[in-house]
Amino acid sequence: MNAKRLRSLAAAAVLAAMTLTSPAMAKTKIVWWDFLSGGDGVRMKALIQQFNAENPDIEIDGTTLEWGTPFYTKVQTSAAVGQGPDVMTYHLSRLPLGVSTGTLRPFSDAEMAAAGLSQSDYFPSDWAAAHVGGKLYAVPLDIHSIILYYNKDLLQKAGLLGADGLPKGLDGISHFNDALKALSGAGAQYGVSFATADGATIWRIFYTMLNQQGGTFLSDDKIMPGDSLAKAATATAAMANWVAQGWAPKQAEYPASIALFTSGKAAMHINGVWEVPTMVDLAKSHKLGFAWGAVQIPVLFDHAATWADSHSFAIPDRRGNPVPADKVAAVMKVISWVEQHSLLWANAGHIPAFRPVTDSEAFRKLEPNATYATLAKTAVFDPSSKIAGVASPVYDAANNFVLPAVNGQMAAGDAVKQMRDELQADLQ
Amino acid sequence: MRAGDSAGAHRARRRQRLQALVLVAPFCLAYLVLFIYPTLKMLQLSFTSAPLIGDGAFVGLANYRRLLIDHLFQESVFHTGYFVLLTVLPTTLLGLAIALMVTRLRGWLQSLVLACFFLPYILPVTVVTLIWQWLLDLQFGIAQHAIRLFDGDGVAVFKNPAWAMPMVAFVTIWWTNGFNVLLFIAGLRNISPDYYDAASLDGAGRLQRFRHITWPLIWPVTALVLTIQLILQLKIFDQVYLLTQGGPFNSTYVLVQVIYRQAFVLNHGGYGATIAVVLFAIIAVLSVLQYQVLRVRDTP
Amino acid sequence: MRRLPDLLLTLLAVIAAALWAFPLYWAVVTTLKPEYEVVQPGIALLPKTWTIGAYVYVLGHTNIARWYLNSFATALAVTVLVVGMSACCGYAISQLRFPGRGVLYGLILASFMVPLQALIVTHFVLMNDFGLINSWGGVVLPQLIVPVVVIVYKQFFDQIPREFREAALVDGAGEFRLFAQVFLPMNWGVTTALAIITFIGAWNAFLWPFLVASTDQAMTVTVGIVQVHDSFGVQYARNLAGAVLAALPVAVAYLVFQRRVTEAVMLSAGIKG
Repeated sequence: MNAKRLRSLAAAAVLAAMTLTSPAMAKTKIVWWDFLSGGDGVRMKALIQQFNAENPDIEIDGTTLEWGTPFYTKVQTSAAVGQGPDVMTYHLSRLPLGVSTGTLRPFSDAEMAAAGLSQSDYFPSDWAAAHVGGKLYAVPLDIHSIILYYNKDLLQKAGLLGADGLPKGLDGISHFNDALKALSGAGAQYGVSFATADGATIWRIFYTMLNQQGGTFLSDDKIMPGDSLAKAATATAAMANWVAQGWAPKQAEYPASIALFTSGKAAMHINGVWEVPTMVDLAKSHKLGFAWGAVQIPVLFDHAATWADSHSFAIPDRRGNPVPADKVAAVMKVISWVEQHSLLWANAGHIPAFRPVTDSEAFRKLEPNATYATLAKTAVFDPSSKIAGVASPVYDAANNFVLPAVNGQMAAGDAVKQMRDELQADLQ
Repeated sequence: MRAGDSAGAHRARRRQRLQALVLVAPFCLAYLVLFIYPTLKMLQLSFTSAPLIGDGAFVGLANYRRLLIDHLFQESVFHTGYFVLLTVLPTTLLGLAIALMVTRLRGWLQSLVLACFFLPYILPVTVVTLIWQWLLDLQFGIAQHAIRLFDGDGVAVFKNPAWAMPMVAFVTIWWTNGFNVLLFIAGLRNISPDYYDAASLDGAGRLQRFRHITWPLIWPVTALVLTIQLILQLKIFDQVYLLTQGGPFNSTYVLVQVIYRQAFVLNHGGYGATIAVVLFAIIAVLSVLQYQVLRVRDTP
Repeated sequence: MRRLPDLLLTLLAVIAAALWAFPLYWAVVTTLKPEYEVVQPGIALLPKTWTIGAYVYVLGHTNIARWYLNSFATALAVTVLVVGMSACCGYAISQLRFPGRGVLYGLILASFMVPLQALIVTHFVLMNDFGLINSWGGVVLPQLIVPVVVIVYKQFFDQIPREFREAALVDGAGEFRLFAQVFLPMNWGVTTALAIITFIGAWNAFLWPFLVASTDQAMTVTVGIVQVHDSFGVQYARNLAGAVLAALPVAVAYLVFQRRVTEAVMLSAGIKG
């Protein structure tokens, strides 16, 4: 009886396996991996659904994996063993690292031309960042950056709101500090909140402030050469000071740092543009309780500069099992379609990389994107290196050294020195 | 006559050998392919600069020299030791205490209480970590009510370097302690009630009976549990990966995780194999120790 | 006079057991609440509104059915192969005389020393050479190395009196019949216990399936519930509903075969229950 049961179970298993893997008729199935959650995820899923509905010959089978290291580890390992998706999202900042591990397959001119995409459709900085060694490894989807979200009611109370509804008096680190102090006095628990327990957030702000001082993080295989190290310490110390003064929360998790702002406990919030939908949706359902706005990060030091990165599409170099030509053709169709429809993606706060959309009337009217779109002019991408980018040694180092310094567990000067030493060793 | 006899015996022996070969072949094949070969391959890889998939150049002892300057590796050795310290002795003592409580009970009550303590042990690790992530959630976790007694604001335990490793150890003990309880219960059942009867007649109290009868007689099981736990906990990976990912600031990075990071995250198969060899060496040495302990137990 | 301390100790045991099992209860009860109720302040030991919405959501929005199939198939294969190979091997070592017998047993004992975690790199390389990444075979094969099962079988077969064997041989039974019709049936209890514990172990395995199964289609349920994220924010009840579903088969197996499971746990530690 046992054997019988076993056999029927096995039969059921085989049957189930067969129904699950039976090929759909005449449909090209595209396996798609992304790391997009939250507002990004909702919008990308909507795009995928719309694509599947409009294109009966192609079916996108999407999987969302965990952002950051888990995602990139899976992608890299899968490609090395000849498996993985047909197309995936990829950060341009990580492109040199991805190419160095042999994870990515370049796009040919013919493939781009067939999809109706060309260099002139993209910003030069994005186009350059999508190349490694002269080859195009990714098709940029957007430019995303960090911005300053603010609570108009609280800024008004502290006398920091201009007649135009934009913040005033935030430029220059000493003015910014005064503002934080004033806001803390004007009924806010914190002047500004940001995810002080999240290494990626810390890196973005750190890199912004380093570049605002004209510092270099990496050039000619040297980490923070010359006076850049001192500038890095200044940037770190500025954040540490906010936390030490109680103007910013200590060890705030990513979701908690947002909640502090949306609940009115923090007057300002530094985070990626991708949290715009969170605010928009809350405001729409009247759960925000205050008027909000978002602007480019103020010029805290010498000149304007903001960290930026790009989401892009890439095809993995699946060793021994390359993505077949018909799938590539379908993938190109998918990419082209999503680029054309990236106004919906702009609703997630991003600035589309595709110029025809960015230059369109519809995007120019899209708020709040239009207010902070100026940041694109002074955006600085992560250093182009195989130790930089999302889920790279540089991100790890920010997490291990800058983050503790911001939370008062390490001196700023020591932190940046240790960071430099560790990364310098990684470069050898 | 004799020749025929010996030829028969010879045939029988040969037949037995053949039958034995058929019976051990599947296991031996699996053992060779999935165990001996990978172990040798690990050693070979540790002398190369191979990526995870593909060949690398022979680099001699370079990978081993790199261990000497690899901070994360050295820290992870230390963290693994810390984790072992936090789990092995507490879980052994707690297992004994719970076993003593359970053996006193009778009938359905004993079964029920034992089931309560044992059930977590049979759960998948991901289920265990999901449950505790929910219980310890900073905003909505029910365990934060208890933590607020010590720290008014509550603590994001897996993000706080002081709390992270002890909490991973705590979750591990909750998960695996049922195993120890069972071993101790078996051990306690083997202690003849005559000893206790005699002690009761002598007027010995609860504590005295424990000290003079239970503790010495249960010691072999205690030693067994200690060594099993020691080796088991040295191999920690799952809970750390799922609860803290090695953070905050690498404060919970452990040995197996460094292997994973080097080989799978950074694509350094050769160096990953080198760290695996180190883990292998540590556990081999401790296993010999365990074997000695078990021998002591087997020869009363 | 002894009554009161006895009663107090019993009470203590019951309270401790209840506290120990409370996280399990709390997880299950959370899955039966609507999400808005889950995040309400205070401690609600029972849902105000009972709902299985979280389960419906998980079943409808994840590949959990596929993961279940993967888990069942691979755990079953591991169980059948491990128990089968080990019983045969244990029988041969216990009952037959053949050259290399001592060496083989020594090797099996020695293999306790090698942590399978140290072999993840080379197992991965090997499974790739076999073309088994993201397949059932790839999940199953490296889990077949469970030397303790051979040892347990050998010990049990050693205990069967020689007379059984000799009587059967005189009747003209061959080794295979002897094994299948005498030795195995006499140890059905051991086989059941070992099969259950092996199945639970394979179902619960994390590190290896996590490494070898990276696609949604290939994941086991133990891995899938933490690897694939749906994009609708933090949903506690849904996360935990996935966990409860993943735990269900092993929890049921334990509750049904309680005695066998405890026996098997002790066997695997070298204690005969």
